Amino acid sequence: MSVGAILCSLVVVSARNPVVSVLSLLGSFVCLAVIYLLAGFQFMAAAQLLVYAGAIMVLFLFVIMLLNLGNSAEESGPLDRALLRARRMPVVLAIGAAVFLLTLFGIETQQTVMAADPELVERGVSSLSGLAELMFSTYLLPFEAASVLLLAATIAVIVLAKRGRTQLVADTRTEVTP
Amino acid sequence: MTVPNEHLLFLAAILFAIGVCGFFVRRNSIMVLLSVELMLNAANLTFLAGSRMHSTAARPELSGPIFAIFVILVAAVEAGVGLALVIALFRRKQTVSLDQLNELGD
Repeated sequence: MSVGAILCSLVVVSARNPVVSVLSLLGSFVCLAVIYLLAGFQFMAAAQLLVYAGAIMVLFLFVIMLLNLGNSAEESGPLDRALLRARRMPVVLAIGAAVFLLTLFGIETQQTVMAADPELVERGVSSLSGLAELMFSTYLLPFEAASVLLLAATIAVIVLAKRGRTQLVADTRTEVTP
Repeated sequence: MTVPNEHLLFLAAILFAIGVCGFFVRRNSIMVLLSVELMLNAANLTFLAGSRMHSTAARPELSGPIFAIFVILVAAVEAGVGLALVIALFRRKQTVSLDQLNELGD
């Protein structure tokens, strides 16, 4: 499953066609959901499938198809882009490797027990009732803040989309009137 | 057979590195958003692994999953606002390439 997730993610960043990379990201999310399930986080697996694979990926696919980006992968000239990428590639790989090595170092210096308790995994680390109890007691304020954030984001998205349309209408009007 | 915690952390590290590479290499703004989603997922996996590392059968540590839920929420918000911005940009400039959005630069 981990191998599947890594392969899918590699396809995500290397595919030329945005639709292909969205679909492989979907595959990566499904692999991660199975990993969550195997690790004992049943609710997180369900949330991952419902929210990420169900909602966010559909949104991405919808926008890609709305903007008709299906086969025009990237806009600048091919030679130009190849040069740019060739110059940028070593730096990027170095950054990626540095992030990875730093994390490995962090993992190696950890002193805590790495083996998970089998009984814990069997019962599930995150029982839904435990999660709910914690979320509505200790984490009540972040929960409310998150709901306000969602409301604000909804309003922001509506305003962004709407302003674009009125501007477009205004542009066409000014073109017509003179 | 249970999944060891190191493997979760290794997988998260690899996914995060791939996401960073994608974030810097791709010039299509939608691909950059996808890379950010990949990195958020790696962070989620790390939260869950940390929660698993610190919990025992008698007393499970549930802060990790709660933070993972908040991360999913933030990812949803980010995807919504980011895609709305992409649509607005596409309406104005007929492109989603980040190389051609340089009004602030010059």
